[in-house]
Amino acid sequence: MKVSEPTPTHVPRPAIDIRDLRVDYGNFVAVDDLSLKVPPGEVFGLVGPNGAGKTSTFRVLTTLMEPTYGEVILDGVDVLEDIESARRIIGYMPDLAPVPADLKVGEFLEYYASAYGLGSLAQRRDRVAECLEEVAITDLREKWCKELSRGQTQRVVLAKTLLHRPRVLILDEPASGLDPLARRDLRNALRRLAKTGATVFISSHILSELAEMCTSLCVMNRGRLLASGTVEEVRQQLGNTERTITASFLHRQEEAASWLATRLGIHDLRLDGSQVVFGFKGTDDEQADLMEGLVHEGFRLRAFEERRSSFEDILVEIAESNRHS
Amino acid sequence: MNASGTEAYRHRTWEVWKNPIFLRYCRSRLRPKGLGLALLITVLIAGFMVGMARSGGVRSGLSLSDAARLALPALLGFQCVLLFILGTAQAAGGMTAERDEGVIDYQRLIPMSPLSKVLGFLFGLPVREYAMFLATLPFAGWTLWLGEISWHVWLPIYVTILTSAVCYHLTGLVTGTVVKNRRWAFLLSIGIVFCLYTVIPQMAKFGLVYFKYLTVWPVLEEFGPKLMPRTAGAALETLQNLAPTAKFFGLGFPESVFTVFSQGGLILTFFVMLCRKWRRTESHLLGKTWATGFYIWIQIQLLGNSLPLMDEGAVFPSQAFDRMIRLKAGWHPDPGEAVAMSGIYGVMSLMLIFIFAILITPSADSQIRGWRRAKKQGVDSLPFFSDAATSFWAVLIMALAGATGWFLFTQGLVESRWFPGHVMSLKILLFYALVMVAAGVGFQALLESKGGRVVGLVTIFAGIVPVMAGAVIAPIDDSLAPLAVWLFGISPASLPMFASASLLSLSELPMEVARAVPRAFQFWLFVTTMACVWRISRLWVSRREKAKSVLSADVVAER
Repeated sequence: MKVSEPTPTHVPRPAIDIRDLRVDYGNFVAVDDLSLKVPPGEVFGLVGPNGAGKTSTFRVLTTLMEPTYGEVILDGVDVLEDIESARRIIGYMPDLAPVPADLKVGEFLEYYASAYGLGSLAQRRDRVAECLEEVAITDLREKWCKELSRGQTQRVVLAKTLLHRPRVLILDEPASGLDPLARRDLRNALRRLAKTGATVFISSHILSELAEMCTSLCVMNRGRLLASGTVEEVRQQLGNTERTITASFLHRQEEAASWLATRLGIHDLRLDGSQVVFGFKGTDDEQADLMEGLVHEGFRLRAFEERRSSFEDILVEIAESNRHS
Repeated sequence: MNASGTEAYRHRTWEVWKNPIFLRYCRSRLRPKGLGLALLITVLIAGFMVGMARSGGVRSGLSLSDAARLALPALLGFQCVLLFILGTAQAAGGMTAERDEGVIDYQRLIPMSPLSKVLGFLFGLPVREYAMFLATLPFAGWTLWLGEISWHVWLPIYVTILTSAVCYHLTGLVTGTVVKNRRWAFLLSIGIVFCLYTVIPQMAKFGLVYFKYLTVWPVLEEFGPKLMPRTAGAALETLQNLAPTAKFFGLGFPESVFTVFSQGGLILTFFVMLCRKWRRTESHLLGKTWATGFYIWIQIQLLGNSLPLMDEGAVFPSQAFDRMIRLKAGWHPDPGEAVAMSGIYGVMSLMLIFIFAILITPSADSQIRGWRRAKKQGVDSLPFFSDAATSFWAVLIMALAGATGWFLFTQGLVESRWFPGHVMSLKILLFYALVMVAAGVGFQALLESKGGRVVGLVTIFAGIVPVMAGAVIAPIDDSLAPLAVWLFGISPASLPMFASASLLSLSELPMEVARAVPRAFQFWLFVTTMACVWRISRLWVSRREKAKSVLSADVVAER
């Protein structure tokens, strides 16, 4: 096994280390010099509109595709140099994960337990039972795979993905087709895994789910990394300082509106009864100055409420700008 | 334990019976319900064959032993149908189904070596057909025992049947792996198996004896008489003595050993193809070195099989189509046969170059990817043997090897005892080399610079349509024969035939085309050579442009 050079002991070795990754399809650049490090034990989300390069990145990470160039090190194993070792530490669940029609759920899982060399027959059966329990489908063991619903199929494939206790889990849209209860189970299962030191790399279009599940995330667009970090950090990196503010006054709201209209960063101002609603673009400090100014001017401020653009809004904006360009 | 802390268990490749993929198919394809019905039908058919032959034989006055032997040809045929046809369809169809369902990605991710995976699928997918074959064995065993047939006879037959089955199943697996559409994969695998093991072996009748050994026929011909009722067997044995036997460069091999030997090269190549594809889906089926080596190996096999048979006359079509003709007093091969055989050898060698060129020539995409990778690594050339590198040199070597093989084959014919006074000059080798290089390398250069679509169109309009037009015009009137010749000559595939017809001293062309053939050959060879030179120059220009566009440009800005 080829292991990357040892890193200093005080810096934990990243579980996922992507360096200058590029994937081309003819003249189309699917992933454009992507570099990314994910520390161990993270539940890391990958977000981006269609065509952002998420699936291509996942396919390279899982050894299913050879990139044009770049390096991918998973838990110290060079994915492009040592495919077999990499495959031992990867658990991959593709989007719309399929199952074979000619096997029962238990047989399907036992086959992979055997393929991953998980001990004796009895040990393999125990492990299959554990994984079925983990995703709460112990009653499906004797059911034919072809008879499963979409949600059940997702759970079965997730159980398969967990079988060999992968150090790096790569899940492409794992929550699609799952009911709310199953999503909660998935969330809990991923958290439990992360606690054991495994790293989860996950993509989803259900961004609220992703924000709940992930400890950090990154946003990709047109093959490039736009931002990465916690949800708040990402929002800031994307330069999204736009917010809608509603200020409620006890009286003199018209004067307050006139005063606000003269301030920098304020737009789309309107009066709504005792409330003044306006758009504000600026830093948190500038917003605090604004509140202080209102109080200083003697306006009796009853409430000051802000609503920031949701993460979905940001992605819709990105997708729309893609469409326009 | 490995670096990641996971247990590094490794499946032993050769323990096929423990191979998880094999066991997975044993589970799904040997379920009692489906298997029971399949075995019932198999047993009924085998039992019917044995019973009918025995009762019919006894009724017609044969001894018990001879009556038992009557069932063997049908039983062997039935076993071949089970393994060759049903098994191959299952191998190709099953492989495509894996991809169709999407579960093939799971199989790729299993930490098993590519060879283990290939073996798992090879024996797993047709496992029910193997079980059905096993169900016929008690009937075969009983018949062999009653028929008093020695193991020296049946063992080589069954070994060859099994190696042929592996060969056919690998063909199915390769087709199933490469062809994306399930229905096409099934049809194509049946088509390729039919061509490879039924049509192409017919080339043996034109001196290309090697192709016969890809099938089970030579062994059946050798041992067939010993499987039949004694009187019929004795008659057949007389005929068998007239059949050519394997004499690889004069070495005397039993047919069964030589069949396994010949199939071995193909089996090994199929394994290499499948392992490459399991390692990386983007890989070419064959690397440049293996393709070139395998092409040269085929040339050696073709020569090794045919040269020793030339002096005894067994390679000539007139004998191959009618073995009894050999017994006729004063039989002598016609010089036209030798000219045609030489031409066919050249055409076959050229076709093989086309096939290998398709397998190893990089597409524009893979060239660009290769250059981008090179740029990233700070080098200004591609690794010589990588998939992205040009296949020009490999095809050039193949063309020269093909020309040499063609020349040696023709020399063997022309300078055999049948045609005293005729010799091959080295000038002919130069012409043969020119034909192979012009057509083969020209094809490669066009493919690499312009892609498959353009090559497809050129093949249709310059390769096939002129031959069809010539074939339509030729029979209309003798006066139109020269025009037909000129039309045939447009197709580069006809150049080897024209070369042999024009250059060999044996050649006795009919009056009406005697002048047209050499002229058309020289003209079209000149045109093809010029086209080849032009294509090669364009190829270098296009490669340089691709390299320059990637190496000098800011790749990030290329979106």
